[in-house]
Amino acid sequence: MTKKKIGVLWLFLLFFSIGMQAQRVTSIRINEVLVINEDNFVDDYGKRSGWVELYNGSAGTVNIGGCFLTNDKNDPKKYPIPKGDVLTKISPRQHILFWADGIASRGTFHLNFTLDPTKENYIALYDSDGRTLVDEIVIPASQSADISYGRRVDGEDEWVVLQKVTPSTNNLTLDSNEKLDNFKTNDPVGIGMTVTAMAVVFLGLILLYLFFKWVGYTAVSASKRRAQKTTGVVTTVGEGEISGEILAAISAALYELDEDVHDMENTVLTIQKVTRNYSPWSSKIYGLRELPKK
Amino acid sequence: MQESFLSFLGENLQLFLTYTGVYNATPGHLIMIVVGLLFIFMAIKYEFEPMLLIPIGFGMLIGNIPFKDAGLQVGIYEEGSVLNILYQGVVQGWYPPLIFLGIGAMTDFSALISNPKLMLIGAAAQFGIFGAYTIALQMGFEPNQAGAIGIIGGADGPTAIFLSSKLAPNLMGAIAVSAYSYMALVPIIQPPFMRLLTTKKERVIRMKPPRVVSSTEKIIFPIMGLLLTCFLVPSGLPLLGMLFFGNLLKESGVTRRLAETARGPLIDTITILLGITVGASTQATQFLTLNSIKIFGLGALSFVIATCAGILFVKFFNLFLKEGNKINPLIGNSGVSAVPDSARISQVVGLEYDPTNYLLMHAMGPNVAGVIGSAVAAGILLGFLG
Repeated sequence: MTKKKIGVLWLFLLFFSIGMQAQRVTSIRINEVLVINEDNFVDDYGKRSGWVELYNGSAGTVNIGGCFLTNDKNDPKKYPIPKGDVLTKISPRQHILFWADGIASRGTFHLNFTLDPTKENYIALYDSDGRTLVDEIVIPASQSADISYGRRVDGEDEWVVLQKVTPSTNNLTLDSNEKLDNFKTNDPVGIGMTVTAMAVVFLGLILLYLFFKWVGYTAVSASKRRAQKTTGVVTTVGEGEISGEILAAISAALYELDEDVHDMENTVLTIQKVTRNYSPWSSKIYGLRELPKK
Repeated sequence: MQESFLSFLGENLQLFLTYTGVYNATPGHLIMIVVGLLFIFMAIKYEFEPMLLIPIGFGMLIGNIPFKDAGLQVGIYEEGSVLNILYQGVVQGWYPPLIFLGIGAMTDFSALISNPKLMLIGAAAQFGIFGAYTIALQMGFEPNQAGAIGIIGGADGPTAIFLSSKLAPNLMGAIAVSAYSYMALVPIIQPPFMRLLTTKKERVIRMKPPRVVSSTEKIIFPIMGLLLTCFLVPSGLPLLGMLFFGNLLKESGVTRRLAETARGPLIDTITILLGITVGASTQATQFLTLNSIKIFGLGALSFVIATCAGILFVKFFNLFLKEGNKINPLIGNSGVSAVPDSARISQVVGLEYDPTNYLLMHAMGPNVAGVIGSAVAAGILLGFLG
């Protein structure tokens, strides 16, 4: 029994941790890299250097403080991203830029390594344990000056030489809502939407209908079986009919109402079981959670 | 000295005058105040949805007191003002799911469980949403705006606010007020179409009394309801999730306190905040536009389409049902999710033609199915157009 409970607890924790994953560092992606910066973005010191852009693809804010960036497979902890800097929190679907100038003393966003334009550059992001690889990329050699290499669409898998350098912003700039444009072009009257949406609404409710028709059938059969087992008599109450007990109760209630027998009583005639628990003001019992039934 | 003091007082009074509502009033403000007063009058005199119309009507008064924009943080659209903070529940869509939690905790789905085919009426009535959507497109609205306007036809205020806050936030005030106004006007809008589309013979159809539903079935309903609908339309999760969760609190029988809080103090609190802020959001400067008038027209039309679709669907459905199993088409109107008003209309109109034919219990089936149907439809619109 205890093992079973522990198993359920682990299962719960597993599901919980899967749910949490989306808000964690694992959602961060290396998104765009500029190796040779001759006439491009300048840092706060007015200097130009290569840079690495990270992107938070999740729907929650992620703090990358304590994680590691590296350009050396054998040294995953090469650049520890400082903890305690509020700027290391990346908002949902937002970007952050690290300058690969090799001068970490310039601040949180200045790496202690540079990118080599003469050869391939390996860049990786590790989780705060320094062992869990979050993302890695090898930037091909012979990159052109002021042309960046990045994911075609933020967070997606395909890496390309980007047409536009887009530090701290989306790699693919969307100037329209593709979904809305599609509807405007292909369904200007709205018939397509009506047919599709009504089909889905009907499908959802038909599924519910079929399921509860089956549940109802099963429940009625089970209740008949139970009644037969208890009394040994086959009940004659069919679906949609009211049982004799209920009719008797209603008749009695109507009789009492007509005869004004209990007009002053504050009571309700019912065939349901009624519990009348003692409830003094001082009782603590109602403030406590009931123990689960075993 | 005295002269300069008097001129100082005069200047101050003149400055004060520029801050007063009287000085800043425009005809728009006065029109909206009259509309607010009309809402309050209808709620008190005729008891049209008083729980909604009183807060919304009074909110209109609050929102349309004119003032000088001097950064005093008093208006609902001024960031950081008290009203603006409360309004965030509407803008960000927090209130509607909480209202749905309360609705779930107070709704008895027995009528639907005992006669599940009534669910299909709740689906058919959603034609109101998409009918209004197509007409809105023709009137020049963008697809996302048309979707937000169409949802008025679901006759569900929280759903309308939730969807419009996501799809067309700039139209939300007009959509919310329109949805709630027409929900209040259900007793006026629906009966003529119910009479028009049914024959005398159909109006007196007697339906089988619903069977007794076991507590197990009632517990299974919210769980399976959530799984079946949300696996199909995950974008409806905020509304459907809370609706079914609230219902499980009610039906589980072991969370009585939570269910009572959800259907009592919680829903009351949220209704107050929602009503007052939606009302206050109708500031004349933001609200009195041609689009708002179009939205009101489309809203009325969507209610009519939904009502007719529900009734006509029942008549069509009856063609396939055996004698004795037929459905009274007067419950078709309750496929719109104005709970329980539209079901009450079915009962009232039904009694006019047969004083012993009680349709309320039957009408509650499609009525609550309409709540589910409109939430599913909102999820679909959000998925496609969001």
